[in-house]
Amino acid sequence: MTVGNVFFLVASAVALFGAIMTIASRSPIRSAVGLLITIVGIAALFLMLNAQFLAAIQLIVYAGAVVVLFVFVIMLLGPDAGDGEGTVARARLARYGAGAFFVLLSLAAAHLVSRSDLVAHRFKVAPAGHGSVEGIGTLLFNSMVIPFELATALLIVAVVGAIAVARGKPHVRRESKSASPTARMFHGPLMARDAQRPLPTKAERAAKAAGGA
Amino acid sequence: MQAIEALFPAHNYTLLAFIVLLPLLGAAVNGIFGKRLGKEAVSLLALSVMGIAFVLAVVTFLALGHAQEGEEAARFFWKGWEWFNLTRSDGSTTVLNVGFSVDALNATMALVVTGVGFLIHLYSVSYMAEDPGFHRFLTYLNLFIFSMLVLILGDSLPVLFVGWEGVGLCSYLLIGFWFEDDKNAAAGKKAFVTNRIGDFGLLVAMGLLLYYTGGLDWSTIDNNAKSLLTPIQVWPLGTHVPAASLIGGSFEHWINLPRCVSAATLVGLALFLGCAGKSAQLPLYVWLPDAMAGPTPVSALIHAATMVTAGVYLLCRLSFVMVLSPAAMATVAVTGALTAMFAASIAFAQQDIKKVLAYSTVSQLGYMFLGVGVGAFAAGFFHVITHAFFKACMFLGAGSVIHAMHARIHDTDASQDVRNMGGLRKYMPITFWTFTAAWAAIVGFPLTSGFFSKDEILLRAYTSFVKTPIATLSDGNGLSMESFVWPTWLGTALYAVGILTALMTAFYMTRLYIGTFFGEFRGWKIVKNWKEPAHAHGHDDHDHGHHHHDPSVPLEGPTPHESPWQMWLPLAVLGFLAAFAGWLNAPLFHIETMHHWLEPVFARASGSVELIEGAEHLEYAFLGAAIAAFAGGSGIAYWIYALQKGKPAQSFAEAMPGLHALVVDKWRIDEIYEEYVIGAVDSLAEFFAWADKWIVDFLLARVTAFLVSTTGTALRFAQTGRVQTYAAVMVLGLGGVGWFFVTPRAEAKVDANDDSGVYSLTAAEGLGYSYRWDLNNDGKWDDKGDFGEKTQQSLNLAVKENRTVRLEVKNAFGRTALRSFNFERPAPDRSGFTSQADGNAAPVRRVGDVRVIPTPQEKK
Amino acid sequence: MNTLGYFVEQYVMLAGALFTLGCVGFLVRRNVLVQLMSIELMLNAVNLMLVAFNRQHMADLNGQVFAFFIIAVAAAEVAVGLAIVLAFYRLKSSVQSDEADQLRH
Repeated sequence: MTVGNVFFLVASAVALFGAIMTIASRSPIRSAVGLLITIVGIAALFLMLNAQFLAAIQLIVYAGAVVVLFVFVIMLLGPDAGDGEGTVARARLARYGAGAFFVLLSLAAAHLVSRSDLVAHRFKVAPAGHGSVEGIGTLLFNSMVIPFELATALLIVAVVGAIAVARGKPHVRRESKSASPTARMFHGPLMARDAQRPLPTKAERAAKAAGGA
Repeated sequence: MQAIEALFPAHNYTLLAFIVLLPLLGAAVNGIFGKRLGKEAVSLLALSVMGIAFVLAVVTFLALGHAQEGEEAARFFWKGWEWFNLTRSDGSTTVLNVGFSVDALNATMALVVTGVGFLIHLYSVSYMAEDPGFHRFLTYLNLFIFSMLVLILGDSLPVLFVGWEGVGLCSYLLIGFWFEDDKNAAAGKKAFVTNRIGDFGLLVAMGLLLYYTGGLDWSTIDNNAKSLLTPIQVWPLGTHVPAASLIGGSFEHWINLPRCVSAATLVGLALFLGCAGKSAQLPLYVWLPDAMAGPTPVSALIHAATMVTAGVYLLCRLSFVMVLSPAAMATVAVTGALTAMFAASIAFAQQDIKKVLAYSTVSQLGYMFLGVGVGAFAAGFFHVITHAFFKACMFLGAGSVIHAMHARIHDTDASQDVRNMGGLRKYMPITFWTFTAAWAAIVGFPLTSGFFSKDEILLRAYTSFVKTPIATLSDGNGLSMESFVWPTWLGTALYAVGILTALMTAFYMTRLYIGTFFGEFRGWKIVKNWKEPAHAHGHDDHDHGHHHHDPSVPLEGPTPHESPWQMWLPLAVLGFLAAFAGWLNAPLFHIETMHHWLEPVFARASGSVELIEGAEHLEYAFLGAAIAAFAGGSGIAYWIYALQKGKPAQSFAEAMPGLHALVVDKWRIDEIYEEYVIGAVDSLAEFFAWADKWIVDFLLARVTAFLVSTTGTALRFAQTGRVQTYAAVMVLGLGGVGWFFVTPRAEAKVDANDDSGVYSLTAAEGLGYSYRWDLNNDGKWDDKGDFGEKTQQSLNLAVKENRTVRLEVKNAFGRTALRSFNFERPAPDRSGFTSQADGNAAPVRRVGDVRVIPTPQEKK
Repeated sequence: MNTLGYFVEQYVMLAGALFTLGCVGFLVRRNVLVQLMSIELMLNAVNLMLVAFNRQHMADLNGQVFAFFIIAVAAAEVAVGLAIVLAFYRLKSSVQSDEADQLRH
């Protein structure tokens, strides 16, 4: 039982535990913490797999940005972020059925893999610098420079898109209904029946927040 | 003349195109611009195109006369353009051209059509002067003349058919000219539909002619007419009658005996069906009396002189086809005779002057068909010409009378009723004298045109018959070939009917003549200087029911007036022709101009027509009989109507009210048709309406729509709009995709070479596949059952050996799939080899692709 | 026990398990935020598998670079996804995915 075995065991246990916490928690903040735990576990496994740079990136980006984003949003939403108590769960059979089916699929896949005649492949000794910053950097700026630049562009676009989507409209809402359905489509809810459910005004939301908290 | 011949050679006679197209031009201009041009311009244009067409027809006639010397029929052609090609399955093509040709027959008819047409155009200018649809009327008249000229000048049956349909259309348009009245519109529709039934016959005839003679223009049909003498099996349809097996025995044998008629008979009967429709013979005559709803010039032109004679023209044109079938000719003659008598019987009791003339037209057309049916084509055609003159004259005269009656009586039916006329000879002398001339012609007053033509038809009805054509028959296999021999009694029967009809014609025409022009005027009380009351109406007012006058107060009105010169001039010309045109062909006086003129056209047909023995001696006897018929008929009518003032007729009507009512009601033929024929069509239509409502609409449309919408409703449950639902469905799909990738597929491409016996298989590759084969069909896997990488295998088979090869495939997941292939090498094909003398084909050794056929000594 | 962590199949199995957990979380939970987090779980599982295979076939570092890009894309995706969640919350005042059925028939 070497250090490697123990490390692997612990890391994988941590990752699995985090995953289960993510999907099974009632409170979203707990799910976010679970995600964080999983990410840390995965980062540890990356270390095991000679992917040092990637482990660092994983921690910085995922744990340091993505999870933080999640937490921001959860905080922003406040109590509304959780599962509502009064809501009725719809299509429970379909959802749990699909989940169970997928579990079955993965078990079947695992069974198939185990039945195969392939011999287990043990890792060979890794050359020095495998997974180092220099190694990845060389790749990124030589043969993979185009995907790299495209990823940059993607990130910029994502930022712009996120701002555009999240900014929303100014809160001055016309109470009058627009004449044409087309105008209403761009200015108001998609379906007419939702127009009957007016968005909560600032005062109402404040009252709700005060009442809920 | 030389100039004409130089300018228009016989094979490219462009004048024909002018003759035909000028009336079309007139119709087009008048039709499109007529309203704006005004009455004078419209009539000038219409009359001038007709006049020029007539002049050109005269020129053509003279040129043709000059060209026709002796026995050969002269013919001028003008080919317009190629219409279309018909290609048969064996590759041969028939070209149908739009072209016109004129020979003696056409030229005469064209003269009549354009000449009488011109006169009637002139008449209409005055007759329809007050009508708001004046320009429309002249447009339709010109269009009619155009169609009629296309019909008679056409060089082939399709062109004739275009004209045929055109005249039918114009007849419809002109009968229903005052279409605001439903009755007129219905009459037009009836004419068109009844014509259409006949057109079916003409189309069938065209198809048969095309099939058997290979073409549809006159020269092709003429050249190949003999090929119409092939038998066609008309019964049973198929090989046997299924229901007959229920009865069995000799009856079944008899009914299954094939019956054949010659193609010529079918063509003849089909053609005659077309003629029966167009020329108003039994049973399709019913439209002609109703057609009197149109204006009187229409009745004169179309239903007396030209359109109704198109049928006779067609039979004369295809005379050489008709004589190939004595059966069809006999049918034509019999139908003509019966129609003549039938129509004459109806005319006995009609009170409307135009209806009497209409039935008289039907009857005279019967005569023409009688003449044509016994083979006297020239006689029948001559009667067409004389009939055109006297009947047109009578119709125009009737129009003149009606015009006079309209001065006071505006109701259409009452103004045409003979009971309201009488004594008009005092007031309308020109009309009277021209009508007298026409009357004399139709009743057969000696030396008038009608006398000569009718007499000749009657004579030929008795003496002339059609010989059975010589046909090459196939030798019998129990075929019962219908061969019709002209019955010896038919001539007598036809003559009897004919002479009786002549008597009846004389009777009812004299009745009409006396009723209209003699006696006291019964229309109204003539008051000198009578003025119209304040609420006068014009001549164009044709609604009835608006004018009631108190019957106790006698109607007063002005003196009936003679018609203007545009109306009596045509009457005079036609009356003159009716009286004296007979001298064109008076065999009695040995004048046979018309016969000689038409002889080359009918030369081929005349070869099949013969006279009975002793025909030459019967002329004077039959002449006497004809004069007796005329004298008897008109004498009786004179006695009843002039001397006894109609009392014997009245007492007859009272003595036999049922018979009288039946005759007045035209033997209720229309009612029978309405009940049975149209009733059958109505029932069929109702059935289809039911089928449309319940099968098409309900089953096919609504039930299927319901199924689709239900399926849609069911399927819509999957469209929840929620991403989770869609993700769940994706997972299901993922399962399917995974299964697809995880199971191996055992396929192999087979390259089979039957000749060499080498069969090679190439197994399909896949991820992680390994293969094992069983090539030698021993049930055990090769290579001790190990899976290997070998994908290509080949095996050699001997001739006629059968082997099953198995392939098993295992993929990376350890799953296997099995497939077996069955090969049999067939024996080589011996069909290309000649067999040896001893009956066995020599074996062939193959060396690669070269065949070595062993020489006989190698056989051992 | 002393083979743990040195065989690629183990990492594959672990990644499979993580992926399954993530997928089940996406299919079962109604909270949109938890669904997004499950998506992140799945992406992480894939990353793990990529890096594990890259550790097995070490000719080049393509696997790790691919995982690198996946991380970048995942970050972008989370940003936009959360923006959408916010817009959706503004519309419906809730983050239940059951409420997002505007495209229902």
